[in-house]
Amino acid sequence: MNPLLQSILSAEFGFAIFRVMTPLLFAAIGVSISHLAGTINISMEGTMLVSAFVGVLVSAFTNSLILALLAGVAAGVAMGAILSYFHLRLKADIILAAIALNMFASGITVFLLFLATGDKGSSSSLKSMLFPEVHIPLIKSIPVLGTIISGHNIMTYGAFLAIILFYIITFKTPLGLRIRAVGQNPHAAESVGINVNRIRMWALMLSGFFGAFGGLYLSMGYVSWFARDMTAGRGWIAIAAATLGGYMPLGTFLASLLFGAVNALAIYFASLQIPSELIALIPYLATVIALTIYSAQAQKKRHRKVEEAKQVGTIKETT
Amino acid sequence: MKKVLYVLLAVLLALSVLGLATCKKKEEAAPGEKKIRVALYVNGTLGDKAFFDSAHRGIKQAEEEFGVYTKTIEGTYEEANWEPDLAQLAEGDWDVIIAGTWQLVQIVEKLAPKHPEKMFVIYDSSADYSKGGLDNVYSILYAQNEGSFLVGALAALITSSDMPKVNPEKVIGFLGGMDIPVINDFKVGYIQGAKHIDPDVEVLVSYANAFNDPGKGKELVLAQYEQGVDIAFNVAAETGIGLLDAAKDKDRYAIGVDSDQYILFKETDPAKADNIVTSMMKNVDDSLYRAVKMYIEGTLPVGEAEVLGIAKDGVGVADNENYRKLIPEEFRSRIKELEDKILSGEIKVDTAFGQ
Repeated sequence: MNPLLQSILSAEFGFAIFRVMTPLLFAAIGVSISHLAGTINISMEGTMLVSAFVGVLVSAFTNSLILALLAGVAAGVAMGAILSYFHLRLKADIILAAIALNMFASGITVFLLFLATGDKGSSSSLKSMLFPEVHIPLIKSIPVLGTIISGHNIMTYGAFLAIILFYIITFKTPLGLRIRAVGQNPHAAESVGINVNRIRMWALMLSGFFGAFGGLYLSMGYVSWFARDMTAGRGWIAIAAATLGGYMPLGTFLASLLFGAVNALAIYFASLQIPSELIALIPYLATVIALTIYSAQAQKKRHRKVEEAKQVGTIKETT
Repeated sequence: MKKVLYVLLAVLLALSVLGLATCKKKEEAAPGEKKIRVALYVNGTLGDKAFFDSAHRGIKQAEEEFGVYTKTIEGTYEEANWEPDLAQLAEGDWDVIIAGTWQLVQIVEKLAPKHPEKMFVIYDSSADYSKGGLDNVYSILYAQNEGSFLVGALAALITSSDMPKVNPEKVIGFLGGMDIPVINDFKVGYIQGAKHIDPDVEVLVSYANAFNDPGKGKELVLAQYEQGVDIAFNVAAETGIGLLDAAKDKDRYAIGVDSDQYILFKETDPAKADNIVTSMMKNVDDSLYRAVKMYIEGTLPVGEAEVLGIAKDGVGVADNENYRKLIPEEFRSRIKELEDKILSGEIKVDTAFGQ
């Protein structure tokens, strides 16, 4: 059999899908939760970058994984808080503010990296720590499934927990209810005494919280150092994944899984004798196709609803 | 009233800026004997552990030894900056302006005829001298294809050997940053070298389409290792560091690029360094040091391009303790033999550049 085909059908490929998916999923959850509150956070690129950087730096200087985790997450939440300050307090356009934050993150991380290490490219001169890999005792020994599911970085399992957490926050807590209310109709929410701005601030900080894990995974799981602009567009793909998933927990997960699979496929195809530009196109092409299918279906659904409403109207009129 | 105030303020500001500028000029002109001033323009940032860092090292060495004044300007990866930045340097008080990579060639070709009193050095690419008026431009090309031929041959020897960490499949890997001529020049030499040893060796080639995505670089090479690769060569700046990480995780072999990457990681990450069997050295530092030296001596061959290959120490295989420890004597002497054959012209290495 062709070695490429063999490797794609291998368990290792399934493993790679989850590995590639992890940062996308965290960031997509961050985008989703902010969108539910009506304030979409497109600064995931910057949030992940800052968290990735802070995590590496703190782990290198304190030798404590817990401190690095806390600091990285705090940095992500802070990014969300900064964005909410600009948008909610200073009334800046949230898209522009987020773009500014992304640029700021790219610059400040390189600057601080230079101050800390004297290097502007990567932190490979620092000895950073890594989040551990987890081998699940029983599942590990199942032939194919074991290789796919067991042995991932703890952050990958964290991503699955994050989806559950996202579901619980959104649908099982008063905060989630308010977030959705504020997102669907801020005026109605306000009329029943909900502080719209405060809820949105929480949503943006939560989005920074989730995004932070994506960044930490990039620099302390995926690889073991921070490199300039290492997010490399993952924050943007995450926005597409969140949109495709309808900003809902299961949808976001499935969309991220799809993008993970498509990216992994492109990576496995890369060694074929096909022009590399075509291979590089695969993930983006998949994004466009998926979004087109999604919006076509959404439109159909809307259309049907309108038709139904019309019918109901005509029935009422005739009676 | 307010308007007048604004105008006054603006005028004041403009004057102070002007004053500052003239002040600075006076300051710089003050010392009696004028030092030679060399500017290195980097169309990226330092810290890539490879190419640009090496260029910077070269002119710093020249500064220390010859007492010239040097400055490295980082133009970042923002292409829109490059032309205005270089134009400013050309108009400024510099004697030698060094700019690298094919991306800056056209800009230098435009500026050089307008500033005949300045000396321009292009490295890792060549100006098109048929355009004329480029008598003040010296181009340095590196025969990376020759160096890559050697590491390709080494990779082929290793994958067919019974060394530890080597699988029975005769497959070797190559990770390129982008599908562009300079990168492909490495690739062409690498493949030719491997086939020279054993025509049955298969070379898997992946491009990351990014120079700053180590995660993707790692993923690409993990996939290659999965397809039977046991040694892979990175030519992708920061993306390429991902290859070294993949080699560490899977415990396979890796080949470094530009600088001696074993030395770079020996201290901070010994486990990573141990798998780097050698590096294809592209001695940008030496070549720029040499260019400054020739400029001072007045022997800089301007108006032409010079190819630095194995012959002029432009490229080569990094010979360090790890190389001597991991690679059997037999293979090392084989590589040495090939090196001599390239030097004598017995082996002609193909190139990705149209000649």
